[in-house]
Amino acid sequence: MDRQEKIRNFSIIAHIDHGKSTLADRILEKTQSIATRDMEEQILDNMDIERERGITIKARAVKLNYKASDGETYEFNLIDTPGHVDFNYEVSRSLGACEGALLVVDATQGIEAQTLANTYLALEQNLEIIPVVNKIDLPSANIEGVRKEIEDVIGIPAEGCPAVSAKTGLNIEDILEKIVTDIPAPEGDENAPLKCLIFDSYYDSYRGVVIYVRVMDGKLSAGQTIRLMNTGATFETVEVGYMSAFGLMPAKEISAGEVGYITASIKSVADTQVGDTVTDDDNPTAEAFPGFHAAQPMVYAGIYPADGAKYPDLRDALEKLRLNDAALTFEPETSIALGFGFRCGFLGLLHMEIIAERLEREFNLDLVTTAPSVIYKLTMRSGETIYIDNPANYPDPEQIAKAEEPVVKASIIVPTDYVGGIMELCRDRRGDYKNMTYIDSSRVELHYILPLNEIIYDFFDALKSRSKGYASLDYELDGYLESKLVKLEVLLNGEVVDALSFIVHSDKAYSRGRKIVEKLRDNIPRQLFEVPVQAAIGGRVIARETVRAMRKDVLAKCYGGDITRKKKLLEKQKEGKKRMRKLGSVEVPPETFMAVLKLDEE
Amino acid sequence: MFQNQKPLGLYIHVPFCAHKCAYCDFYSITNEDLIQEYTMAITEHMRRKKRIAKNYLVDSIFFGGGTPSLLPIESFCEIMKTVREVFDISPTAEITLEANPGTLDSKKLAVYRELGINRLSLGLQSADDGELRMLSRIHTRDEFEHSYMLARMEGFTNINIDLIYALPRQTKEKLLDSIDYVISMGPEHISFYGLSIEPNTPFGRNKNIRALLPDEDEQYDMYMAACKTLESAGYLQYEISNFAKKEYGCRHNIKYWTGKEYLSFGPSATSFIDNMEYKYLPDIERYISCVKKESEIREREYMFNHEELETRFVMTFMRLRAGINAEEYKRRFGLDFEKEYSEKIERFIQSGHMVKTAYGYRLTRKGMMISNYILSDILDLLPDELE
Repeated sequence: MDRQEKIRNFSIIAHIDHGKSTLADRILEKTQSIATRDMEEQILDNMDIERERGITIKARAVKLNYKASDGETYEFNLIDTPGHVDFNYEVSRSLGACEGALLVVDATQGIEAQTLANTYLALEQNLEIIPVVNKIDLPSANIEGVRKEIEDVIGIPAEGCPAVSAKTGLNIEDILEKIVTDIPAPEGDENAPLKCLIFDSYYDSYRGVVIYVRVMDGKLSAGQTIRLMNTGATFETVEVGYMSAFGLMPAKEISAGEVGYITASIKSVADTQVGDTVTDDDNPTAEAFPGFHAAQPMVYAGIYPADGAKYPDLRDALEKLRLNDAALTFEPETSIALGFGFRCGFLGLLHMEIIAERLEREFNLDLVTTAPSVIYKLTMRSGETIYIDNPANYPDPEQIAKAEEPVVKASIIVPTDYVGGIMELCRDRRGDYKNMTYIDSSRVELHYILPLNEIIYDFFDALKSRSKGYASLDYELDGYLESKLVKLEVLLNGEVVDALSFIVHSDKAYSRGRKIVEKLRDNIPRQLFEVPVQAAIGGRVIARETVRAMRKDVLAKCYGGDITRKKKLLEKQKEGKKRMRKLGSVEVPPETFMAVLKLDEE
Repeated sequence: MFQNQKPLGLYIHVPFCAHKCAYCDFYSITNEDLIQEYTMAITEHMRRKKRIAKNYLVDSIFFGGGTPSLLPIESFCEIMKTVREVFDISPTAEITLEANPGTLDSKKLAVYRELGINRLSLGLQSADDGELRMLSRIHTRDEFEHSYMLARMEGFTNINIDLIYALPRQTKEKLLDSIDYVISMGPEHISFYGLSIEPNTPFGRNKNIRALLPDEDEQYDMYMAACKTLESAGYLQYEISNFAKKEYGCRHNIKYWTGKEYLSFGPSATSFIDNMEYKYLPDIERYISCVKKESEIREREYMFNHEELETRFVMTFMRLRAGINAEEYKRRFGLDFEKEYSEKIERFIQSGHMVKTAYGYRLTRKGMMISNYILSDILDLLPDELE
């Protein structure tokens, strides 16, 4: 097994801002995979939005060569992982492709909830973990304190672990040597039937889908027919190869222990879902890689073009995005208020925001997005169980025997100073307190069961603002719990506006109803006549405001030179009107929806 | 005079002010050194129109500004003389001059009368000295009253008074005090404007001003109350912002709202003639030098097509109390107004913003107050016609 002896497959686990991307860049640089001057900053995150938000959305991988101090040259495969709780499953698959992981902790911040959660994921998969203390160039760096914290909280030895500055490049060699000495070489059987784990895939308009895999056993070359074990789909391999820092490098074959890519004229990433196992169609492996599940949307929202005529453009754009995002689902939906649009499913709120932003930015669309909803589980009196992801389809409460909502198991790490505020927030969000553990004398980890619909709007922001930015959050779905749910309807001028209704816990209905009618009052322009704005549950009005009638919109003076000027003014006004959505007899600009749906800003 | 002469209005812009008022965005300068050159330029400009002038009989002249009454008598005589030289003036022509209280004296007024000015428009704006100071007017109410009396004594029998409402911190009560005062003076005509905050004025640059204005509902109440008071005092509303005793509507201004032709002189002035609109440079020095060099004085010009004329027709006629005259509409555009608009207008009739008349349709007072909204709704507006 001489060949595999020289391979090291690893990931980097780090909290947002703890320097993962910068460290990846330094590793690339030190392994001379790319010359410094050619290096586009942070090469692994190559979507604009990722870079702007400082997070990695899609995993990427790169193969590097490192000449170690023992004189040997090693093949490093660095597999990047998404750094947000919405993409937990992708993280676990990326880790599954590795034998080890670098755990990067900011020397001035310490461990965060996200880091902890991902470290546990890595430990579950028996990965060798190399702690790395980063940002030691900062004056407030506390190297020993952070090492001790890693030992106390995670329970892995950290004494003498690499202490580096990814920014300045200090001590990066320590990490590279540790990777060689500490991370085990892969031990695949290249004579066994082919078995590859898909950890990422993307659509390329020339090659079709490019699948990123870790070859566990066997080998694969072009021409071989592959089978995806969970979907059952088969394809003839067109090309295999490696991911270099410069792009895809075709190879004759890829074999056990290696990380590489496969192309097979596949038309959609929906066929190549992360976590699925690729095997040889003629000589399949006995068992698929465990733990596969199809990407499961957790949050749904209606997405509509602000200009109804752009509906086909929106459909095309969503189709293009789906080529590359198996987690995105959408189907046509019609709203009385908003016309034709799509009900879209997302992994979480971040995923939703990213999609909406990409639609607007890359496809130049103006969108109206309805309030995000989770999937509610309703047991009907008839005994039938139904799932509702769109408030518009919520049935008559009389027919519902039991209503349940999804909950998550949440872990929040926060400095002790802010525990009070965070606990209050969780209580406010109907959280069920489980326990609290001390990480050290200054930080605790709180455990809660929280309804998913309470955290999909702005929970993360609220958490940050109540902890001066120090709190960190991780959560995973934890099934359904019975709940007192009601459908809150919004009426404009006596007519229900479907796009504004939502499902809410009955204890919250009144305050949410109040808030929404107040927001509408402030955001709906005055109309020809007075418009009552009401929030109602089952036809019973619980809040009301009034949009007053328009009283003055006139140009006082209109003499010779003013006529043309006035006409221009009217043209502008007409343009503005064209953008309005007509809800019954009420004209509402798309911004109103956005303002109202961003409910929870204080 | 020729039998087939068409009627024409003349507008002469006098871009000089003793002082710029805080709210005003009409083109004017406070440097009076250029008056001589201006007089030369504008009279020369008029003389160049001799050829066109032959086809028209001028039945209204309007000296606007700026402050026309600021012109020295010699300059004014020179301009008036040239007007009469170049144009045929109807003996019954309405000849208006805008004047600022405080710039008038008996001698000036007598000369105006002699030169044929038969209508004076006095900018009072408010009868409250505090409000006048806030507007940075150069006169007090007493000074206005003095000027007004002088004008009456010199024999002016057609006087307009300008008033502005919706001033910062103004209440309805205060406005009605001004209205009562103006009514007590008994002018033939009252222009009653809502204050509009224009960007390139001291008011426009004052970020806090909007917060001080009466809100939309208060402004509406002010307007309604004032209109009522004016009407019960015998002033009939004939346009959104204009009231007059019977037979005293301003003939010149009515031309603007009824699509009639007008020829203008002076920087920033706009003409409309032969379905063409053109505007002169809003820059007195360039205006003067262009006239001297015989180079282009027009800042822009535009020939309106049939649809654009139709839009302008509806837009301006709707300002009038009388509203649209479907017969005249048909005569000009060959279209049936009822067929073109009744469907779009229906909702405004339902909501009480418009009514059907014996001749066509008109806005109610409530409708006038939101005429921008209504017009932008019913008109087919073609964007960017001037670009």
